[in-house]
Amino acid sequence: MNFLLETLSLIVFSVYYLMEAFVKIFVPIRKSVAGETVLITGAGSGVGRHLAVEFASMNVTLVLWDLNLEGLKETVRMAKEKGATKVHYYQVDCSDRAQVYGVADQVKQGVGDVSILINNAGIVSGKKFMDSSDVLVEKTLQVNTMAHFWTYKAFLPAMTEKNHGHLVCVASSAGLIGVNGLADYCSSKFAAVGFAESVALELIGVGKDGIKTTIVCPYLITTGMFDGCSTKWPRLLPILQPEYVAKKIVNAILTDQTYLYMPRALYIIMLVKSLVPFKEAVVLGMYFGAFNFMDTFKGRQKKED
Amino acid sequence: MNFLLETLKVLLLSLWFSLEALWRTVVPARRKSVAGETVLLSGAGSGLGRLMALEFARLGARVVLWDINEEGNRETATLIRETYGTRAHCYTCDCSHREEVYRVADQVKREVGDVTILVNNAGIVTGKKFLQSPDTLLQKTMEVNTMAHFWMYKAFLPAMIAGNHGHLVSIASSAGLVGVSGLADYCASKFAAVGFAESVGLELLAAGCDGVKTTIVCPFFINTGMFDGANTKWPRLMPILEPEYVCRKIVDAVRRDQVLLCLPRSIYLLIALKNILPVKLGLLLGAYMGTFDFMAKFNGRKKSD
Repeated sequence: MNFLLETLSLIVFSVYYLMEAFVKIFVPIRKSVAGETVLITGAGSGVGRHLAVEFASMNVTLVLWDLNLEGLKETVRMAKEKGATKVHYYQVDCSDRAQVYGVADQVKQGVGDVSILINNAGIVSGKKFMDSSDVLVEKTLQVNTMAHFWTYKAFLPAMTEKNHGHLVCVASSAGLIGVNGLADYCSSKFAAVGFAESVALELIGVGKDGIKTTIVCPYLITTGMFDGCSTKWPRLLPILQPEYVAKKIVNAILTDQTYLYMPRALYIIMLVKSLVPFKEAVVLGMYFGAFNFMDTFKGRQKKED
Repeated sequence: MNFLLETLKVLLLSLWFSLEALWRTVVPARRKSVAGETVLLSGAGSGLGRLMALEFARLGARVVLWDINEEGNRETATLIRETYGTRAHCYTCDCSHREEVYRVADQVKREVGDVTILVNNAGIVTGKKFLQSPDTLLQKTMEVNTMAHFWMYKAFLPAMIAGNHGHLVSIASSAGLVGVSGLADYCASKFAAVGFAESVGLELLAAGCDGVKTTIVCPFFINTGMFDGANTKWPRLMPILEPEYVCRKIVDAVRRDQVLLCLPRSIYLLIALKNILPVKLGLLLGAYMGTFDFMAKFNGRKKSD
């Protein structure tokens, strides 16, 4: 009897949610973030910088973290130009747990509780796995994955208390599909996705529906991080502009969108990947240039550590 | 023109592989022999690792056992000797320590020879809600469940590549494909293991090493004590698996060069649905399947390392 009732309720709600999802495509509801405190890691360049600039005109308090102080200052200048009045910046090495906690305390004391956490900082070594240095492999996991553990530990409790907040994980399409030449990067991005997803479910499970999660999986972006990489069919899988990516991320935050894949072709690719046998997926991967994506990788010319 | 030709080629290959997959549901691929292969299993001192070691010994392979637990490891070796009369090689190793992995790997290469089948099976789970998990355990989970795979590959893959012969088996989890409430760090580590194995698998293909196979195993909960207390809502659909069954299916998949093995079969459907359904609907389905309560009464192993 229980099984029948539950199944019936499942069917009824399914129909409702399907209709709701359909309507939302045409009538998106955007929340206001005025008054929120937005923390962005890796704000010294690339997507992090563009996110800061996007939020600058939305009456938020910006808290910017990066390893690169020069980059941070430039982002602060750009944000202020766009109208940001409350901007704070801190030089932090996200891979260092103690440092993350230390600076987080500084933020909590000096600025207040963070209500929108954007884990964006990321690194890539870009070598074939057997040629990658062990130290870099470990670093990749530490910055791209474990830093998320520590920032969650630092800022999630306050969000939980107020049942209000937004957790944004800037992962990658390489967090959904393995890529030749990105073994450690893929590991770290898959982990970031799995982590964000699990904690999101955990929060829902304990009734904290006021804390939203957005997991962002973009394809290649022209920020220099993946300099040299090429895309095979630009119509289907274009190289993205960071301004566009930042705008889409902000929009996803405002509409409480949980998964944001860019470009849209990725949704189809993921669907097909989960349905077809491996050999088929490989053929499709080759077709989309996945095997040669990293062949001409150069990365950032001068890397700061 | 190029685009048309390639698209045509892909469509034809897709048709061919679809037909082949259909054929394979009726006539499964032939099992290759593993007699004479050198199989290394991490976490061979108990649970699934022990059972797989026994199975590989039964099939005539030379078995190398690694575990942090010396006593458990020796027991496995004794069982193999008593049941099949063959000698298994025991090594005590903490897989989370890179240098130790390399040191013991060198020992194995000197004393036994090159490993041809690598089974990354050792795994730990914290099983606490994320904010209650100690940082050291979060770190350890990533070190054992993910990073150990990096070091093992570094140690044993070169010989496989040189001989273009080998098999990499990654015992991940269905929690490496979908997030689970109460398993944030475990999911992160298992997602990472899946992404890593997939990436390196593709890297090997791209380099022409088609003699080195990869098998990624994603089981639901197994009744070995590791997930003691975890419960399932609809045992017909998602049963808690018996370790002997899982072991047989894994070794079978290895012998048939199967790339992804999900147990039970309903997991394949779950992953496909996850990629199709709107989030709210996915959550509804998840709640219906009891995913929010899997870890509610988790105990884990009584005495854990």
